[in-house]
Amino acid sequence: MPIYEQAYRKYEAREALRTVRFWPITREALRLILSKRAFLGLLVLGWLPFVGFVIYVWALTQFGQVAEGMTSALPKGGAVFAQFFKWQMLLGLLLTTFGGAGLVANDLRTGAILVYLSRPLTRRDYVIGKLTVLLAINLFVTLAPGLLLYAVAIALAPAHFLKWDLAWLGPAVALQAVVLSLSLSLPALAISSLSRSARVAGLAFFGLLMGLDMVSGIVGAIGRWPATILFSIQACVNALGDALLGAPRDSALPWVYPALVLAAVAAGSLAVLRSRVRAVEIVR
Amino acid sequence: MSEVPAAAAAPAMPIEFVRASRWYGPVIALNDVTTTLPPGVTGLLGPNGAGKSTFLKLAAGQLAPSQGEVRILGRPAWGSPEVFHRVGLCPEPDAFWEGLNGMQFLTGLLRLTGYDDAECERRALQALETVALVDAKDRKIGGYSKGMRQRIKIAQAIAHEPEVLLLDEPVSGLDPVNRRRVIDLIKRLGREGRTVVVSSHILYEIEALTRRVLLIHNGRVLAEGDVREIRDLLDEHPHTVALRAKSPRLVARALVDQPHVLSMTFGADGEWLTVQTAKPDELYGALHEPAIAAGVTEMYSPDEDLESVFRYLVAR
Repeated sequence: MPIYEQAYRKYEAREALRTVRFWPITREALRLILSKRAFLGLLVLGWLPFVGFVIYVWALTQFGQVAEGMTSALPKGGAVFAQFFKWQMLLGLLLTTFGGAGLVANDLRTGAILVYLSRPLTRRDYVIGKLTVLLAINLFVTLAPGLLLYAVAIALAPAHFLKWDLAWLGPAVALQAVVLSLSLSLPALAISSLSRSARVAGLAFFGLLMGLDMVSGIVGAIGRWPATILFSIQACVNALGDALLGAPRDSALPWVYPALVLAAVAAGSLAVLRSRVRAVEIVR
Repeated sequence: MSEVPAAAAAPAMPIEFVRASRWYGPVIALNDVTTTLPPGVTGLLGPNGAGKSTFLKLAAGQLAPSQGEVRILGRPAWGSPEVFHRVGLCPEPDAFWEGLNGMQFLTGLLRLTGYDDAECERRALQALETVALVDAKDRKIGGYSKGMRQRIKIAQAIAHEPEVLLLDEPVSGLDPVNRRRVIDLIKRLGREGRTVVVSSHILYEIEALTRRVLLIHNGRVLAEGDVREIRDLLDEHPHTVALRAKSPRLVARALVDQPHVLSMTFGADGEWLTVQTAKPDELYGALHEPAIAAGVTEMYSPDEDLESVFRYLVAR
């Protein structure tokens, strides 16, 4: 019978799972991503449309002060914000491609996922941790400037924006920012989990979204069939944004269809993540 | 006399497999394994593809058993993330972010275990000291040598001072100095009362670490326990004794009538005699006098090491 030394003291750390377990994953990934200067540059670039739209709103209100009634040159309702989010969609796509491509792929390539999942956290924690990285990046260029633009718009043109019948605009801006961020982040993470190469994952994500958007545009232009926007995630987000923000609609399709497509993309992405995020690669 | 339920009578073993099987499609990686691993060092031995890694991944809760049950520290290994506060895993593949330095790697992983920044730093330094990597703590892991990588993997497994350590091929690729260092460390962890499971397909690595082994082949447990006990159990296994003598034929003449002697072979140099017996104890008894008369200078049993036991069990 073995006789063990008595020097060992029982483990003292807590045993219960912490409530916020994903944060160290998010923090570490954000630290790595933000240490890249090129990415920081892209993040700054992500705020350029905000500056442009502030100038746009300011210019229109200035005209309004010169000639009575010119503030009506500002588009009605939330059209300004819908336009703003269309720009942010493109920048969000670039940021998500560069920031998200390697999030899971690198862990699969290096085997770091084995070490992650040997810690007191679940696969769900891991996915939430990585997803939070992309959401943080996307919300930084959508929610933050979107709400700030809304505040600037109210400050510059209170007569135009500060109305009871436009009280829904602030929440709609926030909601559209969340929809846009989720619509980019979830597929990016799912595609990242399908490859062990960040480069391949990045190209696949960017190529897929841009490719589908082009197909949607070309087929739509030829056939003049409104449902073609359903091929494109960007077009679906934009169509939903138009509906949410009360902007003139580019497509005659009811908003519920793009919403369903986006929900299906999100569900599909989660299903991919569920099957791919595991410590053991099962080779059949 | 009232019966005491087994679970109440005996404390849970750190690692328990109860009729656990795991298959990947049609491939059975682990087949109906029932075993318990007590505190101390246990060698998990088997050739490549035997099921060792699957065994460890089941114990580490990274795979769900297809059938049966795997428990670690009294809880189901699959779906009990809280138990992994007390478990350390050193996987076989290199599992790090090359862009981080050693210190960042360890503190990042310690944060996942729930410590605050100061505690993470303290424990990371302690672990680096244990594996003799303090000098390299600020160097990027991408620039580490094979031995350093292996040691930083071990450091991340022990940094949170787990009760159970699962080490997949921990000394593979190490130079002799580092191999010795890691072996000493594993032995010390075992002596401290931790449950350390070390997998390897290299027999002498396990022999250097422990005598307690679990032999796996084709997903089945071939044998477990002390390697000598395993040998003793194998009564029908022909036991080989080689001896060197001035007159080996004298020894052969004395043994030829013994019913337990199965075969005898002379060495080409005329000095060696190899005897196969079904009952080693009787052989040693019968050898006493002839060995003196024949001038035996050397005698050993070549199949007492792990390799021969393993070869025999696999071939059976």
